[in-house]
Amino acid sequence: MSDELRGPEDDALGRRLAAELPRYTAPARLRVGLVAATDRPRRPVWLAPLIAAAATALALVLFMLPVLPRIVPADPVQQVVRAVVNEHSRVLMWDARQPKIIPGDLPWLSHETGIDLQRAFVGDDRLTFVSAEPVYLTRQRGLAVHYRDVDGHLVSYIMLPAEPTFTMNEGDRVAIAGRWRPMLKRDGGFVTWVWRQGDVACFLVSDMVSQDDLERFKDYFVRVRVATEPTIAY
Amino acid sequence: MADADFQRQALQHLDALYNFAVYLTRNPPEADDLVQETYLRAFRFSHRFQPGTHLRAWLFQILRNTFLTFYRLRERETAIAEDGVPDWDVPMFHDTSTDEGGALEAHTDLERAMRRLPEEFRTVLLLAEVEGMPLEEVARVMACPVGTVKSRIFRAKERLRGLLKDYEKK
Repeated sequence: MSDELRGPEDDALGRRLAAELPRYTAPARLRVGLVAATDRPRRPVWLAPLIAAAATALALVLFMLPVLPRIVPADPVQQVVRAVVNEHSRVLMWDARQPKIIPGDLPWLSHETGIDLQRAFVGDDRLTFVSAEPVYLTRQRGLAVHYRDVDGHLVSYIMLPAEPTFTMNEGDRVAIAGRWRPMLKRDGGFVTWVWRQGDVACFLVSDMVSQDDLERFKDYFVRVRVATEPTIAY
Repeated sequence: MADADFQRQALQHLDALYNFAVYLTRNPPEADDLVQETYLRAFRFSHRFQPGTHLRAWLFQILRNTFLTFYRLRERETAIAEDGVPDWDVPMFHDTSTDEGGALEAHTDLERAMRRLPEEFRTVLLLAEVEGMPLEEVARVMACPVGTVKSRIFRAKERLRGLLKDYEKK
């Protein structure tokens, strides 16, 4: 203790504190608990570097994720269906980019898309014509015609030149009216009728996925299929 | 220092740490928790301990810092005097009321008076007089200069004497 501050009274009080102040001893259970905690098996020394390496690898994978190759559907038709559904979704949200009417704008549409419509379905009491416009999907020009049914469902009819890889998978085909057998494809909450008409691959897309809706969607297919005749213009 | 050696040496100070914890918290269950937390921290950060320095002072420092960290929020905010010591007669941590669950009762006037000292005064007396620590170690535990430790001991004893006189009069 300091010489200048410490007097006899201080010394006496210090001694009194050391002698009279009760000392509390740690309970046995506390000692036992602490000893038990120190005896627990420790993590192996190799575990920390391993976890660090795994975490680094995970961080690198996450960092590189945007540039890693994407898994694309092996089925070429499914790839086109996905592009068609994306285009349908875009129109559903933001409408057509270049809305045109048929048959008035057919010459321009044919020139822009390379697809000629000998006959075109322009709507009826169930489906109302909304617009037609050129599209560019899977590196091909094509033609999209949009309708809206009485319940407000948007129905898109998209035509693209059929590539050699475009094949009809028998397992997906559905017989309609005993006359047509288009494929039925489901993707992202949408259903698509897929068929081939000469050299043109045709797609009819909507969000009519329930069983009742699907029956009506078959009917829409018939209406469109009977009244439309697409061909490759040049 | 090997882990096992470090733990064995650290546990030799258990009783002293527990006694200090009881006087800080005035509550044995809380003292238990405080000591456990102190040892957990000491073992976790044992690599930071510099061999050759005083293990006892290091452990007391961890305990006091843990106490201040965990318990400060509970207490009311008060004005601090220039030398860092609250300038009043009530304890800095925990009121003296015994209605808290598990709170410890004081048996002697000396113990009662100690409880009424502010934490800085109580700590400095417990370390220097009861544990017999050199002033340099006390200064390390309290993270202040040795001169401040001397000053606090002086003022703590002054205040303790005053409290003891009050008890004698009653």
